[in-house]
Amino acid sequence: MPDRELGAGPGRLLTGGYAVFALAATGRATYQVIAGFSKAPLAYTLSALAALIYVLATVALVKGGDRWRKIATVAISVELVGVLVVGLVSYLVPSLFPDKTVWSHFGSGYGYVPLVLPVVGLWWLRRVSR
Amino acid sequence: MVAPLSLVLYVGCGMLAAIALAYLVRDALIDDRVLLVAALLELALLVQVVTGIAQGAGRSGNWEKGVFFAYLLSVPLVVPGAVLLAIKEKSRFGMAVVLAAAAVVAVFVARLVQIWGPYA
Repeated sequence: MPDRELGAGPGRLLTGGYAVFALAATGRATYQVIAGFSKAPLAYTLSALAALIYVLATVALVKGGDRWRKIATVAISVELVGVLVVGLVSYLVPSLFPDKTVWSHFGSGYGYVPLVLPVVGLWWLRRVSR
Repeated sequence: MVAPLSLVLYVGCGMLAAIALAYLVRDALIDDRVLLVAALLELALLVQVVTGIAQGAGRSGNWEKGVFFAYLLSVPLVVPGAVLLAIKEKSRFGMAVVLAAAAVVAVFVARLVQIWGPYA
C-alpha cells in the first residue's frame, strides 16, 4: 500500500500556498538583487534564501514519496527557524534590515502567512508520516 | 490601470470564489463550469497584462515600477496552477485550492491598483 500522498487532500492547499510564496519570494529576491544588492546585503541574501526554501518545499510537496518528505521536513524546519529569527532580529536590531524581506517582522507584510505556513506544513508532514 | 478592468477582475475573483465555495460545500470535483469561470478570469488577467504593459512602460515619475511589473506578470500564473492542482485532487480540497487562488488573485489585483496610485 502506498504512503499517504504528501500533496493530496490538505497537502494540495499547502502546495498551492508554497507555490504562491515561491513565486512571490523569487520575484522579490530577483528584483532586490538586480536593483542593488549592496543596499541591504543581509536582507537580500535572506530574501534569496527564503525564495530557495519556498521553491524546494513546493517541489518536495508535488513530488511526494519518502525521500521528498524528508527534504520537505528539512526545508520547512529551516523556514520556521528563519521566520522566527529574522522576525525577532528585525524588531530588535532594525538597522540590520534597511529593506524588507519576506520574513522580517514575522511576515507582517504578507498577512503573517510566512509564520503560519511552516507551522501548518510541519503539522501536515507529521500527520502524513504516521 | 483602467478602473473598469480592475472592477471586472474583482467580479471575476468573486465569481470564481462563489462557484468554488458552492462546489466545496457540495463536495463536488472540478468540472467544465468551474473551468469556464476560471478561464474567463484568466482572460481578464491577460488583458490586464497587455494594458498594464501598454500604460506602465512609458509611465515616468517616482512609482514602484519593478514591483508593479513583477506582480502584473506573476498573477496570471496563479489560476492555471490552482486548476492543475484541483484537477489532480480527488477530495473537496481541490475546490479549497481554487477558492484560495481566487482570494490570492484579488489581493494581487488590489496591490496593483494600490501601486498604480490614485490616478486610475
